Amino acid sequence: MNTFAKNDLHPDRDMELSQDADNEPFLVLDKLAEMKQELGPSFLNVIQHFQSGILLRPEKINQAIQANDPERVERESHSLKSVCRQIGLVQMGHLAANLESLAHAGELRGAGLLVGQLIQAGQLAHSQLTEYCTSP
Amino acid sequence: MAHILVVDDDEAIRSFLAEILRKAGHTVIEAENGCAGFEKIKVDPVDLTITDIFMPEMDGIDLLAAILQTYPNSKVIAITGGYKAMYSHLTLKLAQSFGAVDIITKPFQVDQVIRKVALALQSMDIQAEEGVMT
Repeated sequence: MNTFAKNDLHPDRDMELSQDADNEPFLVLDKLAEMKQELGPSFLNVIQHFQSGILLRPEKINQAIQANDPERVERESHSLKSVCRQIGLVQMGHLAANLESLAHAGELRGAGLLVGQLIQAGQLAHSQLTEYCTSP
Repeated sequence: MAHILVVDDDEAIRSFLAEILRKAGHTVIEAENGCAGFEKIKVDPVDLTITDIFMPEMDGIDLLAAILQTYPNSKVIAITGGYKAMYSHLTLKLAQSFGAVDIITKPFQVDQVIRKVALALQSMDIQAEEGVMT
Protein backbone atom coordinates (compact mmCIF):
# COMPACT_ATOMS: atom_id res chain seq x y z
CA MET A 1 0.00 0.00 0.00
CA ASN A 2 1.36 3.40 -1.04
CA THR A 3 1.07 5.81 1.90
CA PHE A 4 2.34 8.99 3.50
CA ALA A 5 3.36 8.51 7.11
CA LYS A 6 2.22 11.35 9.33
CA ASN A 7 5.69 12.91 9.48
CA ASP A 8 6.76 12.42 5.88
CA LEU A 9 6.51 16.11 5.06
CA HIS A 10 6.95 17.66 8.50
CA PRO A 11 9.42 15.51 10.45
CA ASP A 12 9.62 17.95 13.35
CA ARG A 13 5.87 18.45 13.70
CA ASP A 14 4.53 17.29 17.06
CA MET A 15 1.38 15.42 16.14
CA GLU A 16 -0.41 14.02 19.16
CA LEU A 17 -2.58 11.50 17.46
CA SER A 18 -4.07 8.70 19.51
CA GLN A 19 -2.14 5.51 20.19
CA ASP A 20 -4.38 3.37 17.98
CA ALA A 21 -4.23 5.82 15.11
CA ASP A 22 -0.42 5.83 15.22
CA ASN A 23 -0.37 2.29 13.84
CA GLU A 24 -2.37 3.30 10.76
CA PRO A 25 -1.16 5.14 7.66
CA PHE A 26 -1.94 8.84 7.68
CA LEU A 27 -2.81 9.07 3.98
CA VAL A 28 -3.32 6.18 1.56
CA LEU A 29 -2.00 7.45 -1.75
CA ASP A 30 -3.58 4.60 -3.72
CA LYS A 31 -7.00 6.14 -3.03
CA LEU A 32 -5.87 9.44 -4.51
CA ALA A 33 -4.29 7.73 -7.49
CA GLU A 34 -7.55 5.95 -8.21
CA MET A 35 -9.51 9.23 -8.00
CA LYS A 36 -6.98 10.98 -10.24
CA GLN A 37 -7.20 8.25 -12.84
CA GLU A 38 -11.01 8.15 -12.78
CA LEU A 39 -11.66 11.91 -12.75
CA GLY A 40 -8.96 13.17 -15.11
CA PRO A 41 -8.79 16.99 -15.30
CA SER A 42 -11.60 17.53 -12.75
CA PHE A 43 -9.54 15.74 -10.08
CA LEU A 44 -7.94 18.99 -8.87
CA ASN A 45 -11.31 20.71 -8.52
CA VAL A 46 -12.73 17.81 -6.49
CA ILE A 47 -9.62 17.64 -4.28
CA GLN A 48 -10.01 21.34 -3.47
CA HIS A 49 -13.47 20.57 -2.05
CA PHE A 50 -11.97 17.78 0.08
CA GLN A 51 -9.20 20.12 1.27
CA SER A 52 -11.74 22.76 2.30
CA GLY A 53 -13.75 20.12 4.16
CA ILE A 54 -10.86 18.74 6.16
CA LEU A 55 -9.95 22.23 7.35
CA LEU A 56 -13.46 23.58 7.97
CA ARG A 57 -15.23 20.56 9.52
CA PRO A 58 -12.90 20.29 12.55
CA GLU A 59 -13.48 24.01 13.18
CA LYS A 60 -17.24 23.47 12.99
CA ILE A 61 -16.93 20.53 15.39
CA ASN A 62 -14.94 22.75 17.75
CA GLN A 63 -17.67 25.40 17.63
CA ALA A 64 -20.30 22.75 18.36
CA ILE A 65 -18.27 21.49 21.34
CA GLN A 66 -17.95 25.04 22.66
CA ALA A 67 -21.75 25.37 22.28
CA ASN A 68 -22.17 22.04 24.16
CA ASP A 69 -24.23 20.69 21.26
CA PRO A 70 -23.61 16.89 21.01
CA GLU A 71 -26.08 16.48 18.15
CA ARG A 72 -24.19 18.95 15.97
CA VAL A 73 -20.85 17.43 17.03
CA GLU A 74 -22.15 14.02 15.98
CA ARG A 75 -23.43 15.28 12.60
CA GLU A 76 -20.25 17.20 11.74
CA SER A 77 -18.00 14.35 12.92
CA HIS A 78 -20.04 11.91 10.86
CA SER A 79 -19.54 14.03 7.73
CA LEU A 80 -15.82 14.46 8.40
CA LYS A 81 -15.43 10.70 8.96
CA SER A 82 -16.98 9.98 5.55
CA VAL A 83 -14.81 12.56 3.80
CA CYS A 84 -11.62 11.24 5.42
CA ARG A 85 -12.38 7.62 4.66
CA GLN A 86 -13.30 8.44 1.08
CA ILE A 87 -9.99 10.14 0.37
CA GLY A 88 -7.78 7.73 2.35
CA LEU A 89 -7.10 9.83 5.47
CA VAL A 90 -7.17 6.83 7.78
CA GLN A 91 -6.06 8.37 11.08
CA MET A 92 -8.32 11.40 10.70
CA GLY A 93 -11.20 9.07 9.90
CA HIS A 94 -10.58 7.20 13.19
CA LEU A 95 -10.44 10.44 15.17
CA ALA A 96 -13.68 11.66 13.62
CA ALA A 97 -15.35 8.29 14.30
CA ASN A 98 -14.24 8.48 17.95
CA LEU A 99 -15.75 11.94 18.27
CA GLU A 100 -18.94 10.77 16.59
CA SER A 101 -19.22 7.91 19.10
CA LEU A 102 -18.68 10.24 22.07
CA ALA A 103 -21.26 12.71 20.79
CA HIS A 104 -23.74 9.93 20.00
CA ALA A 105 -23.51 8.92 23.68
CA GLY A 106 -24.05 12.59 24.65
CA GLU A 107 -20.60 12.64 26.19
CA LEU A 108 -18.40 15.59 25.24
CA ARG A 109 -15.74 15.16 27.94
CA GLY A 110 -12.50 14.49 26.09
CA ALA A 111 -13.94 15.89 22.88
CA GLY A 112 -11.78 19.00 23.15
CA LEU A 113 -8.59 16.92 23.01
CA LEU A 114 -9.84 14.94 20.04
CA VAL A 115 -10.88 18.00 18.09
CA GLY A 116 -7.47 19.55 18.77
CA GLN A 117 -5.88 16.48 17.19
CA LEU A 118 -8.32 16.70 14.30
CA ILE A 119 -7.46 20.35 13.63
CA GLN A 120 -3.74 19.51 13.57
CA ALA A 121 -4.32 16.47 11.39
CA GLY A 122 -6.48 18.51 9.01
CA GLN A 123 -3.69 21.04 8.51
CA LEU A 124 -1.18 18.27 7.82
CA ALA A 125 -3.60 16.50 5.48
CA HIS A 126 -4.16 19.75 3.56
CA SER A 127 -0.39 20.11 3.09
CA GLN A 128 0.05 16.52 1.98
CA LEU A 129 -2.80 16.78 -0.51
CA THR A 130 -1.29 19.96 -1.95
CA GLU A 131 2.07 18.19 -2.16
CA TYR A 132 0.43 15.25 -3.96
CA CYS A 133 -1.43 17.50 -6.42
CA THR A 134 1.58 19.63 -7.28
CA SER A 135 4.04 16.77 -7.63
CA PRO A 136 4.70 15.65 -11.23
CA MET B 1 -27.73 8.66 -20.50
CA ALA B 2 -29.77 10.00 -17.62
CA HIS B 3 -30.52 13.16 -15.65
CA ILE B 4 -29.42 12.59 -12.04
CA LEU B 5 -29.81 14.49 -8.75
CA VAL B 6 -27.01 14.07 -6.19
CA VAL B 7 -27.93 15.05 -2.62
CA ASP B 8 -25.28 15.20 0.11
CA ASP B 9 -24.62 17.83 2.76
CA ASP B 10 -20.89 17.42 2.24
CA GLU B 11 -19.69 19.40 -0.75
CA ALA B 12 -16.61 17.22 -1.30
CA ILE B 13 -18.53 13.94 -1.47
CA ARG B 14 -21.27 15.59 -3.55
CA SER B 15 -18.87 17.05 -6.11
CA PHE B 16 -16.95 13.75 -6.31
CA LEU B 17 -20.14 11.81 -7.03
CA ALA B 18 -21.30 14.45 -9.53
CA GLU B 19 -18.00 14.34 -11.43
CA ILE B 20 -18.05 10.53 -11.57
CA LEU B 21 -21.52 10.68 -13.11
CA ARG B 22 -20.73 13.52 -15.54
CA LYS B 23 -17.67 11.62 -16.72
CA ALA B 24 -19.95 8.64 -17.33
CA GLY B 25 -22.03 10.87 -19.64
CA HIS B 26 -24.94 11.78 -17.38
CA THR B 27 -26.25 15.28 -16.66
CA VAL B 28 -26.19 16.07 -12.95
CA ILE B 29 -27.81 18.56 -10.60
CA GLU B 30 -26.75 18.87 -6.96
CA ALA B 31 -28.36 19.76 -3.64
CA GLU B 32 -27.04 20.03 -0.08
CA ASN B 33 -30.04 18.52 1.71
CA GLY B 34 -33.33 16.73 1.06
CA CYS B 35 -35.39 19.89 1.16
CA ALA B 36 -33.26 21.67 -1.47
CA GLY B 37 -33.15 18.49 -3.54
CA PHE B 38 -36.92 18.07 -3.62
CA GLU B 39 -37.36 21.74 -4.61
CA LYS B 40 -34.91 21.22 -7.49
CA ILE B 41 -36.65 18.19 -8.95
CA LYS B 42 -40.03 19.96 -8.82
CA VAL B 43 -38.73 22.31 -11.52
CA ASP B 44 -36.21 19.96 -13.13
CA PRO B 45 -37.39 16.33 -12.85
CA VAL B 46 -34.70 13.64 -12.83
CA ASP B 47 -34.54 9.97 -13.77
CA LEU B 48 -32.52 9.01 -10.72
CA THR B 49 -31.61 10.47 -7.33
CA ILE B 50 -28.56 9.48 -5.29
CA THR B 51 -29.10 10.68 -1.74
CA ASP B 52 -27.15 10.61 1.49
CA ILE B 53 -29.21 9.51 4.50
CA PHE B 54 -27.93 11.59 7.42
CA MET B 55 -28.46 15.26 6.51
CA PRO B 56 -29.82 18.37 8.21
CA GLU B 57 -33.13 20.00 7.16
CA MET B 58 -34.66 16.94 5.45
CA ASP B 59 -32.88 13.59 5.66
CA GLY B 60 -32.51 11.01 2.90
CA ILE B 61 -35.34 8.76 4.10
CA ASP B 62 -37.83 11.65 4.04
CA LEU B 63 -36.57 12.72 0.61
CA LEU B 64 -36.85 9.15 -0.68
CA ALA B 65 -40.46 8.91 0.53
CA ALA B 66 -41.35 12.31 -0.94
CA ILE B 67 -39.82 11.51 -4.34
CA LEU B 68 -41.46 8.11 -4.71
CA GLN B 69 -44.83 9.46 -3.60
CA THR B 70 -44.69 12.32 -6.13
CA TYR B 71 -42.74 10.62 -8.94
CA PRO B 72 -43.43 6.87 -8.63
CA ASN B 73 -41.39 6.01 -11.74
CA SER B 74 -38.28 7.78 -10.50
CA LYS B 75 -35.47 5.74 -8.95
CA VAL B 76 -33.51 6.45 -5.78
CA ILE B 77 -30.17 5.08 -4.60
CA ALA B 78 -29.39 5.64 -0.89
CA ILE B 79 -25.85 6.23 0.33
CA THR B 80 -24.40 6.50 3.84
CA GLY B 81 -21.31 6.14 5.96
CA GLY B 82 -23.51 5.08 8.86
CA TYR B 83 -22.78 5.59 12.54
CA LYS B 84 -20.98 2.27 12.75
CA ALA B 85 -20.91 -0.59 10.26
CA MET B 86 -23.97 -2.25 11.78
CA TYR B 87 -25.99 0.95 11.84
CA SER B 88 -24.94 1.71 8.29
CA HIS B 89 -26.29 -1.67 7.20
CA LEU B 90 -29.57 -1.17 9.08
CA THR B 91 -30.01 2.36 7.75
CA LEU B 92 -29.53 1.24 4.19
CA LYS B 93 -31.95 -1.65 4.72
CA LEU B 94 -34.46 0.89 6.00
CA ALA B 95 -33.90 2.94 2.83
CA GLN B 96 -34.58 -0.14 0.73
CA SER B 97 -37.78 -0.81 2.66
CA PHE B 98 -38.87 2.74 1.72
CA GLY B 99 -38.27 1.92 -1.96
CA ALA B 100 -34.62 2.68 -2.68
CA VAL B 101 -33.63 0.64 -5.71
CA ASP B 102 -30.07 0.17 -4.44
CA ILE B 103 -27.72 1.18 -1.64
CA ILE B 104 -24.11 2.36 -1.50
CA THR B 105 -21.87 2.40 1.57
CA LYS B 106 -19.22 5.10 2.03
CA PRO B 107 -16.38 4.97 1.27
CA PHE B 108 -17.42 3.95 -2.23
CA GLN B 109 -15.47 2.87 -5.30
CA VAL B 110 -15.95 4.74 -8.59
CA ASP B 111 -16.76 1.60 -10.59
CA GLN B 112 -19.26 0.55 -7.90
CA VAL B 113 -21.18 3.83 -8.32
CA ILE B 114 -21.19 3.57 -12.12
CA ARG B 115 -22.34 -0.07 -11.98
CA LYS B 116 -25.18 0.60 -9.53
CA VAL B 117 -26.39 3.63 -11.50
CA ALA B 118 -26.38 1.59 -14.71
CA LEU B 119 -28.41 -1.18 -13.02
CA ALA B 120 -30.94 1.32 -11.65
CA LEU B 121 -31.39 2.91 -15.06
CA GLN B 122 -31.67 -0.52 -16.67
CA SER B 123 -34.52 -1.36 -14.29
CA MET B 124 -36.26 1.85 -15.42
CA ASP B 125 -35.93 0.81 -19.07
CA ILE B 126 -37.39 -2.63 -18.29
CA GLN B 127 -40.32 -1.04 -16.44
CA ALA B 128 -40.92 1.34 -19.36
CA GLU B 129 -40.90 -1.54 -21.86
CA GLU B 130 -43.32 -3.51 -19.70
CA GLY B 131 -45.54 -0.45 -19.53
CA VAL B 132 -45.63 -0.24 -23.34
CA MET B 133 -46.45 -3.94 -23.64
CA THR B 134 -49.40 -3.85 -21.21
